[in-house]
Parts: sequence; structure tokens; C-alpha cells
Amino acid sequence: MSVTILAKREFSAKEVVAAQEAPGKTVGRTAGSWVHDLCALRKVITLCPLCTHKFNPGRLGYRKEKEFPFVQAKCDGCQTFDVKCSAYFFEETYHEVRSTAADRRAEKYKQK
Amino acid sequence: MQFGYLLGGGTPTIKKYKMAAGHAAGIIVIVPAANATGLSTSTTTAWTESVGLTLDAITAEGSPVAYSTTQGAVEHLQSVIINPDAVLRALLVGSAVNAVLETRTIGTASSNGLTAIGTTGDTDPSSPDMDEGSVWYASGANGGASRVITSTTTTLTVTVIMPFAANRIGDRYHTIDYAVGNIAGVTMGTNLLNVRGDIASTGAVAGVVDLELNGAGNSFLHLVQRDHAFASS
Repeated sequence: MSVTILAKREFSAKEVVAAQEAPGKTVGRTAGSWVHDLCALRKVITLCPLCTHKFNPGRLGYRKEKEFPFVQAKCDGCQTFDVKCSAYFFEETYHEVRSTAADRRAEKYKQK
Repeated sequence: MQFGYLLGGGTPTIKKYKMAAGHAAGIIVIVPAANATGLSTSTTTAWTESVGLTLDAITAEGSPVAYSTTQGAVEHLQSVIINPDAVLRALLVGSAVNAVLETRTIGTASSNGLTAIGTTGDTDPSSPDMDEGSVWYASGANGGASRVITSTTTTLTVTVIMPFAANRIGDRYHTIDYAVGNIAGVTMGTNLLNVRGDIASTGAVAGVVDLELNGAGNSFLHLVQRDHAFASS
């Protein structure tokens, strides 16, 4: 009779976090409908150079991140990891999570 | 908090993660707790094994929603900037519930500029101890100037080594227990977005990269995460 040894594996923090990454759109779902759903939830949208021209940020209340022309991310359109993605933030919540040089400059001249 | 820039320059890396709870935008999320699915929230005093800063919230029709554990409900995800060298800009506040920083007033003038002596009613700068932190003026001849504090006393006095110009009674100033290079940690307000400047530096493992010292309600710390899941250790 064979003996099976069960050894509990210790996962590193990196492995645990990697397993938590969202898989993206489900099979059969069109990219446009997935991106529009993300927009309705005010998520950050990341699109690769091949997909970005199909997205009109202004119509959906989004703004393109310009201080960082590129971000490394998985494209929400074609689900490919690309080091030259563009990031789009929901306009109303942009300043909750982003501080630009222009913001910091303006803060210096506020009434103290 | 806001994502400001990267210490090494370069390109931010953004990933969408499953979340173990509905987190707000602009807070630190950490490696999942045992038996949790998705990233967990940080606390006011702990950023252990942080993953990064959330860039959006869990919302439905624009309003934040609670994370659902109902079978069949949709899975929630949030975008996180995961660069270990991301510099985060956090507003300095004067209480756990985000009051503005205390504005102190010079009660006894100092001609040599080596001390700032407050007015009766100001909080004792030695408890919580502001020693090795920063003092800066918001009005008077020293308006906009800041120095590192080298000692504090119970008599409302903070001392600096590099002198200010002579101050005058009534000049307004602020103190915090943070200076550039401080690695003693930060304590966040209850919303996990702002850093408490009213208490001594301790808590979540963060390093102070820079200070933006403006007024009571618009001064900021620039922080890096010092216990990051993707940084080698």
C-alpha cells in the first residue's frame, strides 16, 4: 500500500496576493459592455494602446491620467497585461486618490 | 490619501483585486487575513504586509455599497496601485475624526528665534511629545518657515537648533511629531485617509519622504509603505 504524505504548503504574501487578482470579464462578454459596467461603478479604467482609442472618457465623466502617460496594467478591453496602458479616472473622485503637481502648487498659495 | 508620485520615477502599476470588504478609495489594503477571500483593510495603526492604495471604491450607481456574501451576488473588485515605492500624500489632521491641526499662538516672544513659547490653553508640546518633529509658522515674520524640534518642555516651549527670525506675541504656529526621514510610524484617522498630527508618531509602518507644511487644514505628509508585500525582505 502506498503512503501519501500530506505536507501543508506555506504560501508567501506575494502568492496570496497574486491569487486575489480579479480575472476580468467572463468568457463571451464583449469588451465594450464590460468596460461600460466598470464605468458605471466608477472604477479606474486601464486600456492598452490598441484599445484606448475606442474609449471616449469625456462622455462617461472620466479623465485621462496625464501626469503618468503610461501605467502597467491589464487592459480592461483585451485582458492583456501591457506596460503602456492609459489610465482613466472618474472625474468626480479623481482628487480623492490623485495628487498632481498642479494641486500641490495650488495648495501652497491657499490662505494659511 | 492620494497617490502622488513614485520614488524611482517610472510607471505606476495598477491591478484590480477581489476585496474581502467594501473599502473606501484612498486607503491602504493589506494581504488577506486568514480564511478571508480578497484583500483586507488596513487599520489606523497597522499597514503590515500592505499591497497598495485603493484607487476607487466599491459602488453601485455611484454610491458605496457593502460587500455581499450572498450566494450569486456579484464579486466586488477594486483597483490598487501596487508599487512599493509609491509616495502617498496624506492630509495632517488634529484628531481621530479629522479636526484641523491645532493652531498655537506665541505667548512669549523669543528674540533669538530658538524657542516658540505658546499661550496658556495650548496643548502641552511635550505630551504628546513633539520632540524630533517639526514646527512651522503660519503668520508673522517667520510665516512659511519650518524647523526640526530638538526638545520640548511642559512649559509650552519647543526648541530648535537652527534659529528662526525673532517672533512676536500673537504669531501663529503648528507642531507635529514628523520630520523628513521619520520611520516611527503613523496613526491614521478613523476613516484611514488622514494622518493624525496631534499625537506622537507611532503605529502603521510608514516612512516620511517629505512634508507640505501649509495651514492648519491643508498640510500634508508624503509617505512610503515600509512593510510591502512586493518589496523584498
